[in-house]
This record gives sequence, C-alpha cells and structure tokens, in this order.
Amino acid sequence: MLIGAVVAGVVFGLYFALVGLGLNLVFGVMRIVNLAHGDVLMLGGYAAWWLLSAFGLHPLVAAVLVLGVFIAVGYPLYYLVVPQLQRARDSEMLSLILFFGLSQMIEAVTTIAVGTTERSLPGRMLGIGPFILLGARLPKPWVFSGVVSAVAVAGVYLYLYRTRLGMLTRAVMVSRDEALATGIDVHRVSALAFGIALGLAGVAGVFAPFMLGSITPAMGPDINLTAFAVIVVGTLGNPLGTVAGGVIYGVALMLMQTYYSSWANLLPNLLLIAVLLVRPEGLFGRKTRRA
Amino acid sequence: MKFRNLLPALGLLPALWGGAAVAAGAPSEIKIGTLYASSGPFAAISMPVYDGEKLWAKQMNAQGGVYVAAYHKKIPVKLIAYDDQSSTATAATLYNQLISQDHVDLLMADSGSVLTSVAVPIAKEHKMFLFDVSGTGGTFFTKDNPYIGLMAIPVSTIWPSAISNFLDDVGVKNGIKTAAILYATNDFTGTQAHSLAGFLKKAGKIKIVYDQGVPTSTSNYTVLINNIAAHKPDAVIELGFPNNEIAFLRNLQDSGDTFRFLFTVYGGTEMDLLLKNVGAAGLAGSYSYVPSALYSYKVNYGPTLAQYRAMWDKEYPKGSGVEWGSNAVYGYQACLVMQRALATAKGMSQMDIHNAVFALSGKLKTLDGTFELNSEGAQIGEMTPMGQLVRKGKHGIGIVAVYPPEFAKAKAVFGK
Repeated sequence: MLIGAVVAGVVFGLYFALVGLGLNLVFGVMRIVNLAHGDVLMLGGYAAWWLLSAFGLHPLVAAVLVLGVFIAVGYPLYYLVVPQLQRARDSEMLSLILFFGLSQMIEAVTTIAVGTTERSLPGRMLGIGPFILLGARLPKPWVFSGVVSAVAVAGVYLYLYRTRLGMLTRAVMVSRDEALATGIDVHRVSALAFGIALGLAGVAGVFAPFMLGSITPAMGPDINLTAFAVIVVGTLGNPLGTVAGGVIYGVALMLMQTYYSSWANLLPNLLLIAVLLVRPEGLFGRKTRRA
Repeated sequence: MKFRNLLPALGLLPALWGGAAVAAGAPSEIKIGTLYASSGPFAAISMPVYDGEKLWAKQMNAQGGVYVAAYHKKIPVKLIAYDDQSSTATAATLYNQLISQDHVDLLMADSGSVLTSVAVPIAKEHKMFLFDVSGTGGTFFTKDNPYIGLMAIPVSTIWPSAISNFLDDVGVKNGIKTAAILYATNDFTGTQAHSLAGFLKKAGKIKIVYDQGVPTSTSNYTVLINNIAAHKPDAVIELGFPNNEIAFLRNLQDSGDTFRFLFTVYGGTEMDLLLKNVGAAGLAGSYSYVPSALYSYKVNYGPTLAQYRAMWDKEYPKGSGVEWGSNAVYGYQACLVMQRALATAKGMSQMDIHNAVFALSGKLKTLDGTFELNSEGAQIGEMTPMGQLVRKGKHGIGIVAVYPPEFAKAKAVFGK
C-alpha cells in the first residue's frame, strides 16, 4: 500500500504542479495574487465539456484550443486590470480583493449559464482501465494528465531559460524597477506571462474532470487553497519550485488517505502552516524575499 | 315566535360572530421562510428542493391560496427565500433574519444535513417549528425539542437497515462474507456508516474488513480503492455526496477492480446526474436506494409520482438547467405536509402546527411514501427499498427494487 500511495502521489502531484504553475508565474512576475485562478481552471474544464458536447472534440484537442484561447484572452485582460493595480500603494492586498471579486463573478455567471450540478468528460476518452507503474495501479487518465503536466512544466522551463522573452521575464521577476530602467517592455513581458498563466490554468481545467471526478462552478476556492499550498511549499515566485511543491502535496495526500483518511482535507492547511513556520521562503527560496 | 324557540338561534350567534372575527383577522398572506444554496457544494441538492417548493407555492396561489383551517379560508402563500451560498455561517444569519425580521409564519430548512444543522438550535431557541426537508442527522431529533419534524426522507440511522438486512439475508445466501465501508464524514453519510457497521456487527454474519471515513471534499479515490481491494472484500459500500460518488465510480472503473456487491447512495437517488458523469458502464450492476423519484407509491394526498413529474416537466422543461431527481420530490413533499397541516391545525401557534404535523403521522400517504414520525420528529416512514441498477439500451440505466420482498420487482444479481 505504501509504494502504491507514493507512486500515485507523484503522478497526482504532477497534475497539481500544473494547477499551481500559472498562479506562481503570475505572482513571480507581477507580485499579485490571482484569487480567480481556480475559477479560470474551472472555465477550462467547462470549455472542454462544451467543446466535447457541441463539437465532439477530444479533450487533448480541447486542451490545445483552450491553451491558445486563454492566452489570447489573458493578454488584453492584463492591460485591463494589472497596470492599474500596480500603480496602487498596496498592490498585493488590492489584487487579493480585485481577484476575489472576479472569482465571485466568474462563479455566478457560470452558475447562471450551466447550472450547479456536476459535469464530467467520459473517462473512456483517455482510456479506461489501470496503467501499472512500479507495481502501482493508476488510472490511464492520470498518466495522460501527468504527461501533459510534465510537458507544460518543460515548456515553461524552456520559455524562461531558452528564449529571449523568457530571459526578459526572469529579469522582471528579479526586479521590476530595474527591468523598467534597462528599457525592457515590462508590460508586454508581464502580459504574456499573465496569458500563459491563464492558459496553463485552462489546460489544468481540461484534465480536472479526469483527476477530480467532476467540475462545478463552485470548485474554484478549493482549487485555490490547494494551489496556494503547492506554491508556498515550492517557493512563492519560483515557477519551477511548484513541481516539487506539487509532488510533495500529492504524495502527502495519498499517504494521508492511506493511513489517516478522515484528516486528509487538512493537508493543504497543514503544509501551509508547517512551511510558513519552518521555512517561510519555501523549499527553494532565498532567505530574503525579492519583493 | 316564543322566546324559547329563539334560543337555538341565539346559541349559534357567538359561533357565527367568532367565525367572522377569525376570518376578518386572517392575514393577507401566509409567509413561509426558507433558504436555498445557488452556489457552493450543496447547490446541487438544494436547488431542486427549492424549485419543488416554488412549484408548490405557484400552484397554491393559482388556486387562490392554501386552505388554512384556523381562518376557515384560503390564503395566498408568500415564499420568502434567501441564498445561503452553501455557507452554514450565512445560513445561521439568514434563519435568524427569517424569524426575527421577516416574522415568517412557517420555517422550512435548506436541503441536507449540513445546512439544516444550524437551523435546528435557532428554531428551538425561537420556539419555531422547523419543517426539516432532508436534514437527516440523527442528533437533530431529541426528546427536549418539539420544534422539528423531518418531512421527506427517513432519519440517517434507519436508511442503512435496507443494506444490512439485504446483505444479511440475500447477500449471505449468495456467498457474501466480508464488507468494506467507505464514507464521507458528514452528518448524513457518517451516521449511515456508523449505523450500518452497527447493524452488520450485531447480526454477525458479515465481517467488516475495511471501515474508513474521508472528508466530504474528497475528489479522488484511486489510492482508497487500491487499499480497499487489498482487503479483498466481497461487498463494498460507498456512502458519499454526489461529487464523492461520481469521483469514486469513475476511479473504480479506471482501477479495473470489481466487487461482487457495490453500493452507492446516489446511484439511485440522483441517477440521471450520475449517469451523465459516470456513464452506464460504471453504474450497471451496482446497488442503491430506490428513491421516491423512481418508485410509484399509492397516495391518499397530493399528486402521484407520474402526475408530479408531468407538472415538473411542464414547469421546468428540458434545457432549463433544472434537474429532476429525488430532491425535486423532497421540496414538494415538505410543502404537501405543510399544506395538510395548515388544513387541519386548530390555530397558527407553532405548537398548533407541531400538533397538526404529528397528527398526520402514519396517515398521510404521498408520492414520497408513508409519512411517519417518531415522538422526536424523526422520519421513520418513507422507507428506502434496495434497488439494483440495470442497463436500459446501450447508454441508459434504470433501477429495479430487489429488497425487501414486499417492494421487490426483480431478483438481485451478484457479480462474480
């Protein structure tokens, strides 16, 4: 049972790395907290459901479409919202309030549009039956989600470390003011990062019905809490640390389910408290915060 | 005319005068206060209940109102409903508001045990009778609280008697020897799990090899299913809310594990919803409670199931976003009890309402079965027979009652 729980935890955790990746990218580049992140993920799930119901599109095709559309929507949305926020004295706190409002709005509109009941994508679309990995029996859709998550993480890594735009993005992450002073188009770089973050959340949403059973308009806040735990563990502002955060969360969750199942929902809170008390900068953070 | 001939007529005068006074003092409307959750985790079970209540109120008002015996006349009903957004804190505030500020005549709880749990002490404190629609937590019903009655489904403690009786009787004959119980830790399913374990242990015919609770927010069961399979149970009983059971059944399909007997709560009670999310293959052969939404009881009050379904479909046609299911029946059922109680209550005090509701116990037969309360207000009628889900065509699913024998329409089939 132990090995099964650990292997399942790693694969499940990879998915949660994808869930937290966008949230951490936004925080790293813009120093704002997107509390509507879980709702964007939910919209990705509903987009996949709609694309399948209306056009019969396979979820993997839907994931590519959702990625493109959400990046395209996120780019102008940045200009609409973020620059004004960053001009304020307490932009982090204001971002919490603004994105909380946005989250409520998205949930309400989605509820009106599709109702409150659970929706899913047929499990057979990503294969039915177990996939045996190191003796552990995993659902095939988990393997797909794990692979897509790994590809997304690799994509973000390549973008940040192998492209010119990525280098500029990292410069903004280190110091927004210095980046501005050196002539970097900070808003363009940030808008693209914001779009990519929304796109990643949308892709995570496409796989949510397979990983979480179903989607509802109300799922956003729970996703946010877990995503927060993942990125705090893996270091706020460090998108690649999110992978470690996700895997730690996944393994810990599966171990909790195996040995103390009734207490499993306390896990995100426990991880948050433990990391904030013992190592507030996260596993891969520096001793001082670069804010 | 001699004076003594006038005496009978004079004797009638006070009654006539009194009756006129009562009618004159009648309110312009009967205010019914309730809550609903348009969002959050309980929206799926709350909104159909509220839709059923709205349908009833609309029907009553179309007929000139509900008949109120205390005023000898029909009075329009006004449904005062607030959105608690699935939050118990918000619900507590709103229940207080309904009583203290809106001064409702009748108080009806939101759907489910979680959102009812905060209404119980508030109603008791204000000495307001609570029409508990589907809050089945066993702790709600106590000897010192006359201000509650469970309207639409049996109290959680007696639900699983159908499962244990079936397993101890039919199951044992078919080789069922061990069972695993997995449940969500809330009042509704937690109470059922503890009662079921108690029933099975008491009978001593089936050994429980796995008994674990998980948070109601649990959305993946892969590792839990692997752990259950490691104990090799013949029977698996999963007790959760719809979101739990959708995730459980999907993960079970993915795992490739099969069990000779598999039970879920909502496989039958919210069959359409689970069919949409799990598919017929994931449900076929499993067992569940047969809900009133799928079983036609003989009625002596209100519409039959078929009549109500026709009304529902007319009010909420396909595509309106409103789902048909057991909760659609529960809201309407609570209103039927209220309607009948108003038609018989001697006054409009909360104890008059209590007495009228309790007087219906064992006599009222509606589309939800026989309404019967114990002395503490817990529902002990409206039994939930055991049913097995069977395929209907390629993608459809249906449920047939298999136990107890007086309800059974088919013989149970166990897996290999």
